[in-house]
Amino acid sequence: MGTLNTLRSGVAGLVALAALGSAGSAAAEDVTLQYWVYSDFAQGDALALQQEFIKEFTAKHPGVTIEIVGKGDDDLTAGQVAGAASGQLPDVFMNAQSVGAQLVDVGALDNLYSKWMAMPETFRAQFDADALKGCMPKPDELYCLPYTGFGSLLFRNLTVLEKAGIDAKTPPATWDAWFAQMKKVKEAGMYAIPDDTLVFNSVAEIYATSGGNDSWGFDWANRKTRIDPAIMTKVLQKFVDMKGLNSSTSRNDQATKDLFISNQLAFHNIGPWVNPTYEEAAKASGLKYDFVLIPGDTAGKTGGIRSYEMIGVAPGKHADLAFEFATYITEKNQMARWAKLLSRYNANAAAMADPEVSALPLIKVSVEAAHGAMDVAAPYFIGSVPSCYNSTVTDVAAATADGEYTPEAGAKEMIAQLNDCLAK
Amino acid sequence: MNLRRHLPHYLMIAPFMILFAAFFLYPILSGLYYSFHAWNGVKTPEFIGLANYQKIATSRDFATAMRNLLTYVAITVPLGILVALGLALLVDNFTGRWANFFRNAYFLPVVLPAFLAATIWRWIYAPNFGLLNMMLGWFGIPSVNFLNDTGTMLYALVAVDVWVSAGFNMVIILAGLKNIPVELYEAARLDGASKRQQIVHITIPMLGPVLFFVVTYGLISAMQVFDKPWLLTGSSFTTYGGRRNALLFPVMDMMGRAFGGVRFGEAAAYGFILTLSIVALTAALFALRQWRGWR
Repeated sequence: MGTLNTLRSGVAGLVALAALGSAGSAAAEDVTLQYWVYSDFAQGDALALQQEFIKEFTAKHPGVTIEIVGKGDDDLTAGQVAGAASGQLPDVFMNAQSVGAQLVDVGALDNLYSKWMAMPETFRAQFDADALKGCMPKPDELYCLPYTGFGSLLFRNLTVLEKAGIDAKTPPATWDAWFAQMKKVKEAGMYAIPDDTLVFNSVAEIYATSGGNDSWGFDWANRKTRIDPAIMTKVLQKFVDMKGLNSSTSRNDQATKDLFISNQLAFHNIGPWVNPTYEEAAKASGLKYDFVLIPGDTAGKTGGIRSYEMIGVAPGKHADLAFEFATYITEKNQMARWAKLLSRYNANAAAMADPEVSALPLIKVSVEAAHGAMDVAAPYFIGSVPSCYNSTVTDVAAATADGEYTPEAGAKEMIAQLNDCLAK
Repeated sequence: MNLRRHLPHYLMIAPFMILFAAFFLYPILSGLYYSFHAWNGVKTPEFIGLANYQKIATSRDFATAMRNLLTYVAITVPLGILVALGLALLVDNFTGRWANFFRNAYFLPVVLPAFLAATIWRWIYAPNFGLLNMMLGWFGIPSVNFLNDTGTMLYALVAVDVWVSAGFNMVIILAGLKNIPVELYEAARLDGASKRQQIVHITIPMLGPVLFFVVTYGLISAMQVFDKPWLLTGSSFTTYGGRRNALLFPVMDMMGRAFGGVRFGEAAAYGFILTLSIVALTAALFALRQWRGWR
């Protein structure tokens, strides 16, 4: 019996040694993670900082290499969908929360909930609660870590306002005050605002001056729009009123930026990403501008939209390591360095509250804007928004501004078409 | 016995047949299969019969895309060929260095990447700053936003397309012109035919096969229009078609359904509708040629 026990112990010991050996070789195995980022994060200073993050992470993880690849918005989505189909997904990647449902649908996103819950409470508490909620369609599902984001702002050309006889010291507090300024700008021979019927996000921005999250987005359970006809009627009336005042260029066109820089456009309502261009123009050509909150219908209410970008992790054998990397780059210290470098808002509330970060003027306004703004297309991760949805909103808004519908008829038609689009 | 005798021949055509089967036949057949299924590219396809086709045929965007396409094809194909024919007749008069210069100058847009061509034209069309608006300003004409005004968007695209395709068509037509025997023109001149009469009664009829080729090729290309309107309107998978969908075309709509909505089965059905439309139009063109006795 004793001999048998000795033999058993010996075998167990050998098995344990073998297991340790194989574990050791697994740990030493070289791993390469594919990391896809937005193309503007893969160049210049932003790339240098990303590479610094990678260097810091890999220094603590011998044998791990991280390949960073920059891609345009559409390429990210198309690549992730195609990657899911072919089993060649990048391990960790950025994208907008608004395409999250598509990515979940094709199996490109790992459910991170258990890994997330295993993280210390101090880590979890860092993130903006709304941004985090956006990643969680159900209490036990978490498909992303909130990353960057934006709240849209009103960029004002102070030279144009001065020429139009407007006192720019106090920003307009309400829509009426803002609209009165727009009319003055036009009377002075300049453009007030870009054509906000051309881009879905612009329409949403103006909607947010009258409405908010409670009457926007999707009722996925009944596959209906949550847009309120009375609010949309009010919004469409605004587009009719602004028709003769706008530059007929979209907020995203280079032509709009050119008009602003050359003192022909008073207001540019857009995200903070245009600031580097305007900052450069201020240095090069003396552009005088500032950025304020988009005024809503009543004092204290702000318009504008917010949206978040996310970090996703692909399911697969490197998912744990990829998640670890994702938590490293979204952690407060990294996000604070990121915010300081780019002066860009992100979803790490602790980083935003860092005194050095919150003192930055663009960050300060962005944080306020994001908190008062309306989500672009929430709730995310529930269902894929059909492309007919966005085009219906812009088409009917443009048609109403062109006089094809009265605002009331336009709102009714838009809602009918949106419900029809969602029902299919 | 026969197989043994023909084995070398089969072996010789085998590489082509394998590539044809792998990269042409298989994608077509699998596309046809998926067009009858609800499929997101990853999950198991679910058979839904003709539902995808029905959904597309009854969608508002499909109607808009088809209407835009027919208008675009009806304008751009004849106009593109007329411009190319005019250029070819002009360039044909030049010899030596000048002939080469003009041939290359007009052919340059053909080799230009679509992105670059679109960037150039976005600048030309830009309101206030654009070259075209600057020129209109000289005559006191107010600025036009060519790419956001529903009245001008389609024509703005046609101009870009004619600019790009004219060089290709011109080179083909020029090659055709070189093949017309000079004796025909000499005989016509002796008979007192004017330059216009020579073009109408000799050049155009003798260019018949070449013109048929450029019409067919132009039609097929125009039916698949995608990159230029996509880039000119700054489209993405979720925003495309420009203001009030004035530049929405079938391939864009198909791409939006595939990547914007992750509905690959529906996109496959869309592809088949488009392919069948192209085949039907091309077949009609060939039938017309046969019926009219064109060579």
